[in-house]
Amino acid sequence: MEKTPNKLFWHGALLAVLLSIAYSIVLASQSIEYTWRWERIVPYLINTEPKAEYAPFDGVATLSADSSTVIVEPENGDMPQSYDSFTEIMVGDGDLVFEGDVIGSKSDWRLGPILNGLIVTLQISLVSLVFAVLIGLFVGLARISSNPLLKHLSLLYVEVIRGTPLLVQIFIFYFFIGTVLDLDRFTAGAAALSVFAAAYVAEIIRSGIQSIPAGQMEAARSLGMNYVQAMVYIILPQAFKRTLPPMAGQFINLIKDSSLVSVISITDLTKAGREVVSGTFAPFEVWFTVALLYLVLTGALSWLVKLLERRMASSD
Amino acid sequence: MIKEYQGNDMIVAENVDKYYPNGCHALKTVSATIHRAEVVVVVGPSGSGKSTFLRTLNQLETVSSGNITIDGTPMYAKETDINQLREEVGMVFQGFNLFPHMSVLENVMLAPLKVSKRTKREVEDHARALLKKVGLESRIENFPSQLSGGQMQRVAIARALAMKPNIMLFDEPTSALDPEMVGEVLDVMKSLANDGMTMVVVTHEMGFAREVADRVLFMEEGELLVNEKPDVFFDNPPHPRLEKFLSQVL
Ligand SMILES: Nc1ncnc2c1ncn2[C@@H]1O[C@H](COP(=O)(O)OP(=O)(O)OP(=O)(O)O)[C@@H](O)[C@H]1O
Ligand SMILES: [Mg+2]
Repeated sequence: MEKTPNKLFWHGALLAVLLSIAYSIVLASQSIEYTWRWERIVPYLINTEPKAEYAPFDGVATLSADSSTVIVEPENGDMPQSYDSFTEIMVGDGDLVFEGDVIGSKSDWRLGPILNGLIVTLQISLVSLVFAVLIGLFVGLARISSNPLLKHLSLLYVEVIRGTPLLVQIFIFYFFIGTVLDLDRFTAGAAALSVFAAAYVAEIIRSGIQSIPAGQMEAARSLGMNYVQAMVYIILPQAFKRTLPPMAGQFINLIKDSSLVSVISITDLTKAGREVVSGTFAPFEVWFTVALLYLVLTGALSWLVKLLERRMASSD
Repeated sequence: MIKEYQGNDMIVAENVDKYYPNGCHALKTVSATIHRAEVVVVVGPSGSGKSTFLRTLNQLETVSSGNITIDGTPMYAKETDINQLREEVGMVFQGFNLFPHMSVLENVMLAPLKVSKRTKREVEDHARALLKKVGLESRIENFPSQLSGGQMQRVAIARALAMKPNIMLFDEPTSALDPEMVGEVLDVMKSLANDGMTMVVVTHEMGFAREVADRVLFMEEGELLVNEKPDVFFDNPPHPRLEKFLSQVL
């Protein structure tokens, strides 16, 4: 009989390993006398600083009976204005106020720089992903085309892009192409990422198409479909399914590689992290938070792809 | 549709030569004429060029020299649209080549919907009728992976028929099947022959050739050596190489 591992024991073992890793992190930070101040991170995630309300003109402030509403009556006899839902009122009944005076503050919340950075990372990754797939599909099809020009150009593209570091490509896109074409940072960064990822996507698509048996194309053509119809209805849908797992890996790389655009001063998650570190002096907390947020993005993406894979498995 | 052709010669191959890019001389000056409603069976040893010949008839392989005329249309004339010509010629493959990502019904409906200008309604009714004809009306929602080999090949036949071809080509349609499924596919082919379809069939099923074929062709090393009625072909083989071949397979 085959021995089945004791589930409870191995789950317990996993937990023990994880706990000891966490404990060693604590020990390590104690040995360098680091004080953890997680609370300092919070305002950089969500900024809950109250928003001040200013007097719009010179006049006299009147408080309502229950002190919930401030009515400011202008000196020139115009319509009085009333303000309410304050968390704190800074004027007294009958006070003289001048334009620009703070009459009270309201509770408010905004996204902090880290979450704003997360949004930028998400935006640049999504834009690059769409263009990487479009360019990659074109280059991948060119790679298997019978036209020598298309074939060699696409091969050259793939070799050049895969043979140079992304960081260098980002600089070239920003300083050279960006200057020539007058691109803003975001466009230059997204273009560099798209062009980079497209080279890998092209290879994934090429090998996906070539993994479809030749008989599929022959059957489609024998039914009177032209090359494009056969590709669109028969070859690509099957190739798409086979390329999903490597494609998911490529997209996850794209999200992580997007952190490199911080070098051209795009305030993505990584750049925001760097800025927050200098404001909080809590580098460990910030970088752990940033890592966790990247993990959330990549995790969500793999989950989506798994879902798609499961839905497409119906014909197996 | 190609212009309406009333003549009797459905397939005319004249002096067809085929060299593969690797230099293999697969067809050597092959000439044959196949008439309307004729069933022609092609036999010969492995590598003799049977598949190559069949595949030149719908231009899955282009010829190196020679001419082919299908249904009155010269295949290599400048004004001939090969995709239109292929609508006239259905093909059934040894390996079925069904589209695995589509249901049985979608397999049959796809080409007529995308290639011919027919309404969805008409195409679906036609597809259901064809699937009923090949005995698979209960499997239309299934995917190919859920079918047996014999069922897959019958779907492939229905798929080819859905384009309303005037000619059907079969390349060893039963060679990949378990023995107990050969009969069901041959039965469908027989009923197609009875309906007056023009058919070219590459097969090792000598029983089918004797029973259904109007003529049998024998190929060896790229040459078409014999083109005869079945009784002569099998009972009085007119070529010593055919005699030797028959003694090996019968
Ligand atoms: N794509 C190809 N490239 C090069 N040579 C080929 C190609 N296809 C077939 N051949 C060669 O052409 C010759 C004829 O092949 P073909 O497939 O037509 O034979 P066949 O009679 O159908 O054989 P089988 O009974 O094994 O199917 C063989 O020598 C084969 O090796
Ligand atoms: Mg063959």
